[in-house]
Amino acid sequence: MIEVVDLVKHYRASSGGIVRAVDGVSFVVNPGEMVGLLGANGAGKTTTLRMLATLLSPTSGTARVGGCDVAIDPVGARRRLGYVSATTGVPDRLSAREILRSFGALHGLRGYALEARVDRLIDVLDLGKCADRPAGRLSSGQRQRVSVGRALVHDPPSLVLDEPTNALDVLGARDLLAFLADLRSSGRAILLSSHRLHEIENRCDRFVVIHGGRVVAKGTREAFVGEAGGLEEAFFAAIAGARAE
Amino acid sequence: MAVASFQINRLLTPPRLALAAIGAAFPTAVLLAATKARGGALDTDLGAILLYFLVPEAVCMLGLLVTICPVVADELERGTWVHIAVRPGGRRALLLGTWLAAVLWTGVVALVGLLLAVLAGVIENGLILLGPFSVLVCLSCIGRAALFSLPAVIIPKRALVASVGVALVVEYLAGLIPAVVNQLTVSLRLRTLLVRFMDWRRNMPIQLQLLVDDRPPWAQVAAVLILAVVFLTIAVAILEWRQFPPSEES
Repeated sequence: MIEVVDLVKHYRASSGGIVRAVDGVSFVVNPGEMVGLLGANGAGKTTTLRMLATLLSPTSGTARVGGCDVAIDPVGARRRLGYVSATTGVPDRLSAREILRSFGALHGLRGYALEARVDRLIDVLDLGKCADRPAGRLSSGQRQRVSVGRALVHDPPSLVLDEPTNALDVLGARDLLAFLADLRSSGRAILLSSHRLHEIENRCDRFVVIHGGRVVAKGTREAFVGEAGGLEEAFFAAIAGARAE
Repeated sequence: MAVASFQINRLLTPPRLALAAIGAAFPTAVLLAATKARGGALDTDLGAILLYFLVPEAVCMLGLLVTICPVVADELERGTWVHIAVRPGGRRALLLGTWLAAVLWTGVVALVGLLLAVLAGVIENGLILLGPFSVLVCLSCIGRAALFSLPAVIIPKRALVASVGVALVVEYLAGLIPAVVNQLTVSLRLRTLLVRFMDWRRNMPIQLQLLVDDRPPWAQVAAVLILAVVFLTIAVAILEWRQFPPSEES
């Protein structure tokens, strides 16, 4: 489960002023649920996700992953969270198998348990044919799957993905989102941000729209999309409403 | 250990290996040139002085500059730091693992360089230098990798330039000032150990004796280890405290 309550993140700008990147954001992602975090560039999506991943400290408010407060028990939160960033950051020289092994070891997995987990991920992510090829020679889709595998190597109950389909073609994006839907069915809480609204429209159970660091709309897919006629229309309406205020 | 192993794996690229081979061959090449200029093997004392400047100083210093300085900047630039920092060990594991990888990588290159230089037979009784100089190499790597981790976390994008500045100002300038400030340098400890190992102190002019410490060798080793722990503790604290907004990544 992922819980965010009144989360605030302020940065000190180089000009000396304060940048309110996230300004009182609240939402919940329950187990077995996939929530889409939507917003324009600079809306505060990545900052919110990074606070959940313990990469940034909240200025105030609370963020919990699997019941662990990211400010009080960051190690507990990290053990319960898988994080996929917008940049895959996959080392070119290492193979998918070596990368998964290395990151499994960072979670304390060793020996048979580690090998079994790596084999399972290679299997479910359909990386079998390229598992031992250097990552530099993999396609964008394969690299993104390695990145997702790296986030799942410790079998976390919660998953946060920052624009995971950015570098993927239509087929790659469809496969990845179908895989995420399977993970949701297995009881994981999934929070993902994306600019490609048409891809996630029918995949997410709920949506949260942020603009200028604030939540400007949220609701179930039916409630949020239903009235507007489509996710894109609903998103534009929410942003227009926020701008009018 | 897992981060160190991962970082060493990433260092095993053909360009890095070629650089390591050049680094390992460099002391022998310089000693051979010196031998040729003198027209014969170097006596033990002169050989020890040259070897000291070539291996624990030059090779270790350069090796550490290229391995520890990019610990934050490179990871930020490649977008890879987040993937290590979201693991249970977090940023501390990232820094300490990279420090260990830098020490092991540079240490192995320097020790191979030392071995080659000694086995080349260009220094009279060169083999007796192997043990003491191995200690100097290990201490140089441990202490200076920790020292260079400070600029790496304080000013990641200028870490290399800052570390060269730290090496010149702290290690070589402050390290030669006979005052309290040189007690905080690794170079004072290495120099003192060299003088002890070579038993040079009795014959040294009084002015030069000011450049070495009076305390026994074990105290010098302990001082380097304490300095390394202090530097790394400060570096970890700074790294844990620093905020890297997404805009700082490439």
